[in-house]
Order: sequence, then structure tokens, then C-alpha cells
Amino acid sequence: MDDAQRRIDTAPLPGAQELRRRSNPVGQFLRFLRLNWTMYRLANHRH
Amino acid sequence: MARVVILGAGVSGHTAALYLKRRLGRKHEVVVVSPGSNWNWIPSNIWVGVGRMNPAKVVFPLAPIYRRKKVDFRQARAVALRPEGDADNPRAGVDVVYTDPKRAGQTERIRYDYLINATGPKLNFAATPGLGPDTGHTVSVCTPSHAVEAASHLATVIETLKAGTPQTLVIGVGHGTCTCEGAAFEYAFNVEHELRTAGVRDLAEVIYLTNEHELGDFGVGGMTFSQGDRRITSEAWLESLFRERKMKAITQAAVTEIEPGLIHYRQIDGSANTQPFDFAMLLPPFRGVGLEVFDRNGAEITDAVFAPSGFMRVDANYEAKPFEQWTADDWPKTYQNPSYRNVFGIGIAFAPPHAISRPYATPDGIAIAPAPPRTGMPSGAMGKVVAMTISDMILSGATLPTHTGSMGEMAAACIASTGTGMLSGTAAAMSMSPIVPDYSRYPDTLGRDPKETTGDIGLAAHWVKRLLHTMFIYKARAYPLWYLIPE
Repeated sequence: MDDAQRRIDTAPLPGAQELRRRSNPVGQFLRFLRLNWTMYRLANHRH
Repeated sequence: MARVVILGAGVSGHTAALYLKRRLGRKHEVVVVSPGSNWNWIPSNIWVGVGRMNPAKVVFPLAPIYRRKKVDFRQARAVALRPEGDADNPRAGVDVVYTDPKRAGQTERIRYDYLINATGPKLNFAATPGLGPDTGHTVSVCTPSHAVEAASHLATVIETLKAGTPQTLVIGVGHGTCTCEGAAFEYAFNVEHELRTAGVRDLAEVIYLTNEHELGDFGVGGMTFSQGDRRITSEAWLESLFRERKMKAITQAAVTEIEPGLIHYRQIDGSANTQPFDFAMLLPPFRGVGLEVFDRNGAEITDAVFAPSGFMRVDANYEAKPFEQWTADDWPKTYQNPSYRNVFGIGIAFAPPHAISRPYATPDGIAIAPAPPRTGMPSGAMGKVVAMTISDMILSGATLPTHTGSMGEMAAACIASTGTGMLSGTAAAMSMSPIVPDYSRYPDTLGRDPKETTGDIGLAAHWVKRLLHTMFIYKARAYPLWYLIPE
């Protein structure tokens, strides 16, 4: 394997708190709303 | 009455057709020429490719939509443009060969006042010996039927793993000049997710094989995300994700040949390597669909309208110069062909002026240079921009394009699925603005607006990806108020 694999092997892993955040339905629902707003905004500007 | 002919009914062509008909009404004709009878929401093909979505959910027939919207649909393949007309008629025309079973093989010259070339790409599996599902040894998720075949092969691999035999799965791109690395990335992570769900992950090795110089490049030169107060490169972000999911990666690679069970590839340092596989999904490079162009006297002038790649020249700066000298301003804004002002090229069909990611090559000249992506969000935006311009030209006599949308100004969001499931799914949500880095506007943040260039992984992004599937199919079906859904 090349340098990419060496970098993967030494990359930091997400902690338990981050993993919980990614799958917490309540927190993720709020992020879902924010992501939708972000995408709507991006899609509507500059064209 | 003016007639607008649109070649292609993918994201950009179909978007253009719907907006044109909405603005032009019944007084003018909109004709769509597409060799396929169905519309395909390509971003969801990856879920078909792991057996998690019925292929019927990613396609629908175009004819009923166009019948309802009074758009003239011709199921046919365009083969030649005659932008100056011909000896008998000075009106411009496009030659088509019907693929509709009722008229298969019949030819027609369709006259037009305005033409939109939105043909998308030719899937150039022939560029790499042994690549592709038809004559090669790899599968693909580029079309629904390819994805169904991929899912079938993957199911066989999972059964083999359940029987206790280790398997190697290689997923990525099958040529040094491929684009759409994001789709390969998504499929790799969805396959990994399926293997875990099936309880066979420990016996499988999953390898992502790419022409990107580093992970997270995606053909756009990578990104630097704002995450709260800190900044992180897409490379570091994805390296962590690869380690978390125990996936391997080979970067800076140009696949040169595929034998049964063995991939040959070269890397930037010139090394020649091989990678054995039991299952390989490698995307093909793209090129133009091969339209020819003739002047009024019948002389071929294809090179004046199309770049050597087969993609259409538009209002970009195609001057040859070193990579460092290209700027966001070189990218097209109106998508108007410089030779024929009533012809436009959008979506994958327009020729990009240069690579966004720095191009590399092996010492003996094999290109390892991701091509710029121009699918999804920007593709739909281009369709709308050109539809608005043409309708203004027809309705108010505008002589110059009235709408612009450059990838050097447009933002884009990409939701890369890393596993499906209402509560177990995840995706990486990435946004960038602009798509083509503008180093003059954002000199300190690698050419992009730090407030609009973000990355986030989690269940929420998976829900967004699933919502986009439903919303865009609703929009493409032209159901009530479809035009309120942004591109």
C-alpha cells in the first residue's frame, strides 16, 4: 500500500462522544433541519 | 413559433425542458430527444447496487410526463448537428436515429431555433481493457441495470463470505482520468455497511482504488471544512473515516488493465502494481457521445464545436496554460457555444476548461488526473440558467444571455451515503462554495468561502440523502409546484 494507507493507519479515531452524537436521533434531527436549510440556501444563490 | 430542441433527458436536460415549457407555454415548441425511455435518479443507484433499493424506485418513464407537460418527446439518439442548416434548408437541424421500438432505426432531421446539448457522457469502458460489465470483468453502478447486476454479484460474495471464504472487494475508478469519485466512495462505504450488516465484515477486505492524489479530493482539489472553531482538510476527515470503518485505500492510481480477478494499475511514482479481487466495481471514464457537426455544404466541422474529448465548447477560456495560471473566471457562465449562439452545452456535455484537481502523470506519461465533476446540483442549475436565457431570447428578443451560473461562483452540496437505514444509516454531508476554487476572492482559505464549506458525518445526512431522493423524483415528475424545489 502507498502513503494513503499509512496515513489512514495513523488517523485519529472518533471518540465515544462523537459516535454517540452521529447517531443520536434528537440531535441528528436538529442537524437534519440545519442541513436542509443550508442546502436550500446554497441552491438558491449565485445563479 | 420557436422550437427548442434538447438533446438528453438527464438532470440538466430534463430540468431545462421543464423550465422552458413552463415559461414558453403552448406558443412555442420544446422537443426532447433522448435514446432512453426512462429518467434515472442516478445518485440512488448506489442503493440499488447493494440490493437496498428496488430499481423501479430510481427510474420512471419520461413519455407520460412530457405528454402531460406538452413537451414533444422523441426517443432517439442524436448523431449529427447541422447548425447552418443544409443545402435545401437554411434552418439549423439535428439528425436523429430513433430508438423507440415503434420507429427503431428510422432517421429524421429535426429543425431547431435553439439547441441545448445535454447528452451527458458516453461511458467509456473501452478506455481500459477488461473494464466494465459487458465485455470486462468488473461491475458498475452507472445505470440501474448495471446496479442490479452489481447487487447480484455482491450477494454472491456475501454468501461466499458466510461459507467462511475470505473475499477482497475493490471499489473505485477504472482509469486515470475518471470523474465521479464521490459515487465510487459512496458505493465503497455502502458495501462495507452491507458486509457489517450481514455479519461477514471480518472476512472481507474492502479497498478503495482511486486516481485522486489524496483521499477527499473528489476531483475538486479537496476541501477544507470549518467545524466550529477548527479547520480540517477533507483528506484528514476521510482518513479518519476509513480507519474507523477498517477500509483500505490506494490513491494516485491509474488502472491500466483488468484480467479476471486481477487489476493492473500504475502510480504517480511510475510503479506498476497489481491488486487481486473477488469483486470489483470500477467506474469508467467519460467522454462525449460522439456527435458530428456539418456546415451548410456538408463539410465536417466537429472540431470547431466540440473539444477533442467530445464535449461541447462553450463560453469558457480554453487557452492552453499551466495549471497554476487557471482561474475561476476561466469557467463558463452562460454555456453558449461561441460559434453558434443558439447552441448551448450543459451538464457533463460541456467541455470544462481545465482540471480543478492538479493533474499528474506517471514518468512515462500515463495521466492520473481526475476530471472535474459537473453532475447533480450544478448540472440542474445549468439547465435552469440556459432555460431562462433561451426563454428570454424567445419572449423578449434578448440577444445576449440573460442568466449566468458559473461553477466558479456556484456553491454545491454533496451528500455521500456511507450506509443506508432509517436509524443505522450514515452519510457525509459536504458543502463547498464555490465549486471551482477562487483564489482571488478567498486567498487565505484555499479559494473557498470558509463559512459555506463544511463537512458533517451522521444519521442526519443520511436522512437528507433519502429526502433528496424523494424530492428530486417529485420534481422530475413535474408534480404540482415542482419548480419550488431548488436544483
